[in-house]
Amino acid sequence: MSLYVLQKLIRDINRNPAIRERFTAEPDALLADYDLTPQESAALAARDYRGLYALGVHGLLLRPFSIIHQVSEPDYLFAIRGDPE
Amino acid sequence: MTLVHASAISHAPGYIAWVDAAPPAQKDALYAGAETLRRDLAAAQVDELILFTSEHWTNFFYDHVSPFCVGRAESYQGPVEPWLKIGKKTVPGAPDLAEEILAAAYAQDLTPGFAQELAFDHGTMIPLSFLTPEMDVPVVPIIINTLVAPQPSATSCYALGKVVGEVARRRGKRVAIVATGGMSHDPGERNHGFIDEAFDRRFLDLMATGDADALQALTVEQLGAAGAGAIELLGWIALAGALGRFTGEVVAYEAVVPWATGMGLMRFNYTDGSDTV
Repeated sequence: MSLYVLQKLIRDINRNPAIRERFTAEPDALLADYDLTPQESAALAARDYRGLYALGVHGLLLRPFSIIHQVSEPDYLFAIRGDPE
Repeated sequence: MTLVHASAISHAPGYIAWVDAAPPAQKDALYAGAETLRRDLAAAQVDELILFTSEHWTNFFYDHVSPFCVGRAESYQGPVEPWLKIGKKTVPGAPDLAEEILAAAYAQDLTPGFAQELAFDHGTMIPLSFLTPEMDVPVVPIIINTLVAPQPSATSCYALGKVVGEVARRRGKRVAIVATGGMSHDPGERNHGFIDEAFDRRFLDLMATGDADALQALTVEQLGAAGAGAIELLGWIALAGALGRFTGEVVAYEAVVPWATGMGLMRFNYTDGSDTV
């Protein structure tokens, strides 16, 4: 149950330029510094927005994280909505 | 020397950051509405402003969330968002008013949190940039946890607001109380872009008629059904508590699809509090 840690890392990436740089330059080393499950690490490393949302990441953390990575609003919404109802 | 102004205003980032994405008629109505509120506030010669507001993971995180946080700083900086198209500004605080609010609340067994330092994000800087653009009115921010469950109930927001209203009325200054947030929107969530205009209109009606019972009966779940961001309307309910008996006028309402938000602006008429219990 490390959703807290996962969200903490996403917030750090969103807010802290040095950590953001590490996430780009050496993501594996950065992720190893946080106590994440393999599933969480994989979702974050792959920037799997659908997976991260399904894991419970708060929308006001995940959407800024996606904006940093140049994801458009329609693409983001398509990702988190999953299969159309 | 009392409560001299009360209003409410939504704070979608698009209101400033991507204003021209909105249809011109909607933009014009919302800017005219904001100007109406600014003029009202200026005419009231306000000395101090209490702002029921919310935030977006700027100061608080899951490591520490309190239902209410009263800002007691000498000054604040904002906005934190470089893209907001509001330059970095310093906003004066009103720490002695904050102390008075805290003392009054704790004396009535209400126990809000407090902070000596807070950064302001768009949720606070947008209303201030419209209402007090010179940033020359000292502010006490009262941040409500509208972000993460469990959020405070409408009744607890109303109760804290009531104390704030009592302090404002007996304060030897000209005090404004403003609520910001809402209306329906679901930022970052699955229903982002959906605006529940019917809900917004019902809520505006409750604020227009001063229906304290119906406002307090709203649950967080009912607010959240209009989008996670609609929970920010708890700040409007706190304002209702501050006003006691009141009526309100909808200055502007527009469901602005490009801003993904139902945008509401209201101003309020209220008694001097002598007939409220």
